Amino acid sequence: MMTCDVKAKDRIGTINPIFTCQPAGAQYASIGIKDCIGIVHGGQGCVMFVRLLISQHLKESFEIASSSVHEDGAVFGALDRVETAVDVLLMRYPHVKVIPIITTCSTEVIGDDIDGVITKLEEELLAVKYPDREVHLIPIHTPSFVGSMVSGYDVAVRDFVKAFAAKSEPNGKINLITGWVNPGDVTALKHLLAEMEIDATVLFEIEAFDSPLMPDKSAVSHGDTTIADLIDTANATATVALNRYEGAKAAQFLEKKFKVPAVIGPTPIGIRNTDTFLKSLQTLTGKPIPQSLVRERGIAIDAITDVAHMFLADKKVAIFGNPDLVIGLAEFCLDLEMKPVLLLLGDDNAGYAEDPRIKALQDNVSHEMEIITNADLWDLEDRIKNKGLELDLILGHSKGRFVSIDTGVPMVRVGFPTFDRAGLFRHPVVGYAGATWLVEQIANTLFTDMEYKKNKEWLLNVW
Amino acid sequence: MPYHEFECSKVIPERKEHAVDKEPGEDLTSCLPKGYLNTIPGSISERGCAYCGAKHVIGTPMKDVLHVSHGPVGCTYDTWQTKRYISDADNFQLKYTFATDVKEKHIVFGAEKMLKENIHQAFDAFPEIKRMTIYQTCATALIGDDIGAIADEVMEERPDVDIFVCNSPGFAGPSQSGGHHKINIAWVNQKVGTFEPEITSDYVINYVGEYNIQGDQEVMQDFFRRMGIQVLSTFTGNGTYDELRGMHRAHLNVLECARSAEYICNELRVRYGIPRLDIDGFGFEALGNSLRKIGLFFGIEDRAQAIIDEETAKWKPQLDWYKERLQGKRVCLWPGGSKLWHWAHAIEAEMGVKVVSLYTKFGHQGDMEKGIARCSEGTLAIDDPNELESLEAMELLKPHVIFTGKRPGEVAKKVGVPYLNAHAYHNGPYKGFEGWVRFARDIYNAIYSPIHQLSELDISKDEIPGNHGFVTRRMLSDADLSDEIRNAPHLSEYDGKFDCLAALKDKTYPEFPRRVAAAE
Repeated sequence: MMTCDVKAKDRIGTINPIFTCQPAGAQYASIGIKDCIGIVHGGQGCVMFVRLLISQHLKESFEIASSSVHEDGAVFGALDRVETAVDVLLMRYPHVKVIPIITTCSTEVIGDDIDGVITKLEEELLAVKYPDREVHLIPIHTPSFVGSMVSGYDVAVRDFVKAFAAKSEPNGKINLITGWVNPGDVTALKHLLAEMEIDATVLFEIEAFDSPLMPDKSAVSHGDTTIADLIDTANATATVALNRYEGAKAAQFLEKKFKVPAVIGPTPIGIRNTDTFLKSLQTLTGKPIPQSLVRERGIAIDAITDVAHMFLADKKVAIFGNPDLVIGLAEFCLDLEMKPVLLLLGDDNAGYAEDPRIKALQDNVSHEMEIITNADLWDLEDRIKNKGLELDLILGHSKGRFVSIDTGVPMVRVGFPTFDRAGLFRHPVVGYAGATWLVEQIANTLFTDMEYKKNKEWLLNVW
Repeated sequence: MPYHEFECSKVIPERKEHAVDKEPGEDLTSCLPKGYLNTIPGSISERGCAYCGAKHVIGTPMKDVLHVSHGPVGCTYDTWQTKRYISDADNFQLKYTFATDVKEKHIVFGAEKMLKENIHQAFDAFPEIKRMTIYQTCATALIGDDIGAIADEVMEERPDVDIFVCNSPGFAGPSQSGGHHKINIAWVNQKVGTFEPEITSDYVINYVGEYNIQGDQEVMQDFFRRMGIQVLSTFTGNGTYDELRGMHRAHLNVLECARSAEYICNELRVRYGIPRLDIDGFGFEALGNSLRKIGLFFGIEDRAQAIIDEETAKWKPQLDWYKERLQGKRVCLWPGGSKLWHWAHAIEAEMGVKVVSLYTKFGHQGDMEKGIARCSEGTLAIDDPNELESLEAMELLKPHVIFTGKRPGEVAKKVGVPYLNAHAYHNGPYKGFEGWVRFARDIYNAIYSPIHQLSELDISKDEIPGNHGFVTRRMLSDADLSDEIRNAPHLSEYDGKFDCLAALKDKTYPEFPRRVAAAE
């Protein structure tokens, strides 16, 4: 009898983490909003390094500010730093309308009351100095010692929606909460919506981060979700949150508060999950799935058929990264006849064990499989180097690059961050286009590996 | 007073004294910005934190150590794999990082017990490594964990291990510089003098403030070895933990980055009487003078001179090839700290470029003094610049190239200014004679990229040339050169290898007889 265990990492500490901490997730969400510059309330590294990380991934820059808490603030409280930061930001960035105040471990430990200081700022600074300016200050509590960047994204998305959503007339639109995705994913999702002729509000929309270098030097990378979009979320026909762990909280809030029905998942990775996503859209809007998507799906299936049973079948895969991505990739791998033998979920979210997708894997996989929660990259490396785990492929982000380099197991970069490969942010992993791109990346990576290791490389003499 | 007031910073008058224009007749009595003051919140400064200054900049380049951060996972993750400080230990220090992974329950009930478990598990996972550094973070500083006490307990339980503790939380000071200071002092207090190194030469140095970015340390170590000098330790690039415990036995501290490591040199002078000699590994003249100074200290100037002659003969014609083609190119020299003075004069004198601006993210006034003294007239010097000021400066100065960090480099890209990574380099090493040519080559490649030229063409309204299917860098760089220079037989492009360190791996060095036979 084959087994699929779900268990937590059996060490207390973390060797080579898969995720960073909550404030990073809030920062990633914040760059999806137009006219928004967040202030991270804490030490400067909590911003400087997160900006570096995101900028390494997207090869773009964008603005996030720090309240620059120094010793005196850590000892006596640092709310005055928030007050100054808001004023300085407003004075120097006339376009800014939305300022999330994002907490960190230090300012949560010292107990700075950011909700209180926001009230104070609204009554004093904003009322007196900026009476004619639209400014929204939004508290986002993301202590680093809770959850991970994934839950930080989820919390921030919920809190942004919560801060703005307001009931008026039904707008007939679908709220689409993408989760932590790439510009290329947003393009692919918008394409599916357009083909379905569905009017949707794509939230925390970062497509424009795949931005040009223009002759007039005018291009700036920025998010495209507006305040009006956020306000109008309360008036949508439904909310589709693609990811259970990155955006579902906001969908649930809208359902509870404004009776906007929430559809959570599935993460549309692979043919089957994309089919289900389109079915959800069809059910919610009554719009038919058009021939153009039948054809696009056919192209993906054609591409998969070219490689799956010949090259991919029974290949053993380890997958790490954001949970919805990892689960979606594992599901897709099974449709590709591959064997996902190890899934690494990098935080201690107690909900993973109850995730129906994970339960379905446990009930149905016909090979030995391990799912590790609170995992780190040592869980992967140690199994390969010291515990006899045999793998044909790793799917994961660039922080795991040395596992692949040192063990010789080829790796397809997917997820966040993918700074050590060019342009991956431009390509989707969702939708039929994402399925096509993924399967071809996987196949080409395996082909290169066969050639590099001279492992039946002659197979490809004729194909 | 030649203060430079940025349009974008008029609303924060505190900023006014943080930038100056070095005008004719100005000297440091008036032409010096304020420095190393607390950052203005919300100004979008580029500064990092004191934790990263300690752990990420100085601690982690040590190559045979488990580097553990005691705190939530983010500090560890964020500072991991963002530098290019390599080592000859298969880059262990780049590959592995350890977080104690402090969670909410530990914040409430204390994290000392889990720290201890963490330490044991880390040593168990890497049984061949017996040395560890532990870094405090904001969270564990605030809950008051006594990391030192836990480290002592573990050292008693595992007599074969040694642990160093650095208490430098992120909020400790205006920038990463606070962390540099803290780890310098912590190391000399805790570790120097606890290990007796083997002395193999009459001339023994610590090489301090050198982080082996892309192999800088290995290049410089090659020169020292050719001079018969024993590099007892390097603080800290490509350095080992135990060598650094033996720093007290050196005859001389050779200091490269004074910003990050002068503190330990000063302490070693006070406590052990070891003199400090500041050097520059960047630039033919500065490097030559540095090797000569070290030679002079030990009475072996001839050995230094032989290296300088050999290297100059080999590389000067290549440097000059670039110098001819970089004449007058405007450079924004916007590094973190010490490179503003290491490079300011050297690139003008030896590469022909014009430094139009220099700035420092975390430097002190002393760094600015050196930078402003070394740069030429007309330079705009900025302390702790912020995003809008950088953009305004680029608009004003129209640089041909900018030397800065990765993310600010992306800002420059969008306004059509190519960037070179001032912290991690593009294709280094940049130290040494060959390294300096590589730097010039990288500047040339950035400025004369044919794609850079294309980026300025607006196909909707400009005349599309259409006369060439390609343009080479040479077609751009040599267009206005005289035939004499263009065809100068004594000048040539850089011809070194992609990895110029490979040749050092198996190199053998001359045996110099010792004056005093093992008299230690």
